[in-house]
Amino acid sequence: MAETIASDQAGLYPGRMAGYLAQLRQGAGAWLFLLPTLAFFAGYQLWPIIRVLWLSFTDYQFLTNDPSNWVGISNYSEALRDPLMWKSLGRAALFTIMFLPGTIILPLLLAILIDRVTQPRLATVYRVVLLIPAVIPSTLIFVLWKWMYNYQVGPINHFLVSTTGLFTLHNAPQWLGGTALTLPSIAIMEVWWGLGYHTIFFLAGLAAIPKDLPEAARIDGATEWQVFWHVTRPRLAPIVMILVVLRFGTAMAVIDEYLIFGGFNRASPTYTWTIFMYDQAFKTGLWRQGYAAAIGMIGAVAMMIVMVFLIRIFRPRG
Amino acid sequence: MALDAAHDAAVPSRAGATTGEDPGWFKENRTAIVRHAVILLFMVIILAPLAWVLMMSIKSLPDSMRGDFWPRKFDFSHYSFVFERIHTLPINLFNSIYVTTATVLTTTVCAVLAGYALVHLRPKGAGIVVTVLLVSLYFPVRVVSIISIYETQHWLGLINNTSGLILPYITLQLAISVLIMRSMFQLVPHEMIEAARIDGAGHWRTLWMIGVPMVRNGLVVIFIVNFVTAWGEYLLCLTLVDDEAKRTMPVVLAAAQGGQGQWAWPNLAAVYVIVVTPGIIAFTFAQKLFFKGLAEGVVKG
Repeated sequence: MAETIASDQAGLYPGRMAGYLAQLRQGAGAWLFLLPTLAFFAGYQLWPIIRVLWLSFTDYQFLTNDPSNWVGISNYSEALRDPLMWKSLGRAALFTIMFLPGTIILPLLLAILIDRVTQPRLATVYRVVLLIPAVIPSTLIFVLWKWMYNYQVGPINHFLVSTTGLFTLHNAPQWLGGTALTLPSIAIMEVWWGLGYHTIFFLAGLAAIPKDLPEAARIDGATEWQVFWHVTRPRLAPIVMILVVLRFGTAMAVIDEYLIFGGFNRASPTYTWTIFMYDQAFKTGLWRQGYAAAIGMIGAVAMMIVMVFLIRIFRPRG
Repeated sequence: MALDAAHDAAVPSRAGATTGEDPGWFKENRTAIVRHAVILLFMVIILAPLAWVLMMSIKSLPDSMRGDFWPRKFDFSHYSFVFERIHTLPINLFNSIYVTTATVLTTTVCAVLAGYALVHLRPKGAGIVVTVLLVSLYFPVRVVSIISIYETQHWLGLINNTSGLILPYITLQLAISVLIMRSMFQLVPHEMIEAARIDGAGHWRTLWMIGVPMVRNGLVVIFIVNFVTAWGEYLLCLTLVDDEAKRTMPVVLAAAQGGQGQWAWPNLAAVYVIVVTPGIIAFTFAQKLFFKGLAEGVVKG
């Protein structure tokens, strides 16, 4: 039916052309719809990764006219022998450990509390407030917290020095700028940023649990903790898995925050594998992008391996 | 937290009624009060940093250095000052608006077309496309690809070019946008699309008249997701664009050292409020559609 109409419409054109157009509509039409997406995706997601993979096996340097040579795995072996590679991976892992539990557990707790708010208008207000940080763009979050942590005018130090008097101006904590406090400071900021968004996720999961299930358990004499552990938790397991895996991925690959708060000091705890890669690719010497590519690939693959384990650990059972 | 609120209020109220005293009311609703107090504390934590910036932007200069939340003297002139005295600011703001608008529109069109095709036209190989898009979400593409995106842009002559940023920006959330649109179009019954086709509508007409109105909530979600990403993008703009005047607002704001000259704290805060407000206002108006879309498309997918 559809075919006849298509060829009827195409009947305006001379015979062969019409047949061709109709065929194009039927077969390639779908790919025409996909074309813009595929073109952009291939050009700016797929190709760069393939190219970086290729570069990682060469001695490519950006700021030179000498042709680059195929060097096999020597970039990889050099990186793996470099203590900085391991140190920078360890720093990224340390940050992830600081960040991940808070960004799962706090929103879960908050969602359980808000789920019981029965007043509809109040519930809406809470939800809107929760999502406000999520609609603030990333860099603006970092700039905001750069001021929160500011040594002179930041409200956090103002609270510690002037309001409570716990510290004086001389020993007030230096939160950012590559001190030992920098990673925890960034972790707190990230938990704040994700708090609302993750709570909304959990709220959606809680809304899908039939209300009579926890009710029945309570009538049977289950404590609130038992209700949570045996009724709520298993049903939220898929959401927990998605959040753990995705947030592990973002936390291990953080770069903007480290660029803004840390810089390129190799001793700084913010000098992770992402900064190491960026430093080699755009800051050091003749921009050794072949070596930088190998660093990036090692970091990415290390991350993906842990992700596979996380999926296996957090996969919902039964 | 030992009991559900309704449960809690219902059972001990008998005891409260016999004593008929105020402390009884408090006891009855203790869990509810504690719950609301904890929620309120979280709400304050979420809003406090934003309130701080807002106050900072309307403080007089001496108050800005004092650190108290409530200023002794208000000064609303910083908003006009930043536009009149910081000459690059209107340019940076325009750059951000231009790049973000182009990115959001292009990505949305791409995602709608692709989502429709993947669900209702089902070409051979659609499964592979979906798998590749999904895998790309788990690989740190944004970080690793920066090396060769620089090379590509250099080759295209787009280094230090504001418009050139649009190309990589489009792909930042393209995969997730397509996947959201895909799960939205899965909610549109295939029979409806078929019926429109039988009535003689082409794919374009079917998509525009039948498909798009039905995925409206999802459109709001990908609009917001792409707006937030493009409006705040830092890494690509920092790496690909060198001139201050060609950069977007986030890079300028992140580089501004607070407290000096034109970047006195209240000025900086005023710029911040100007940059951050459009998103929050747009979201507040669209929140109903956004939450519906989120529930339909994101959580499910």
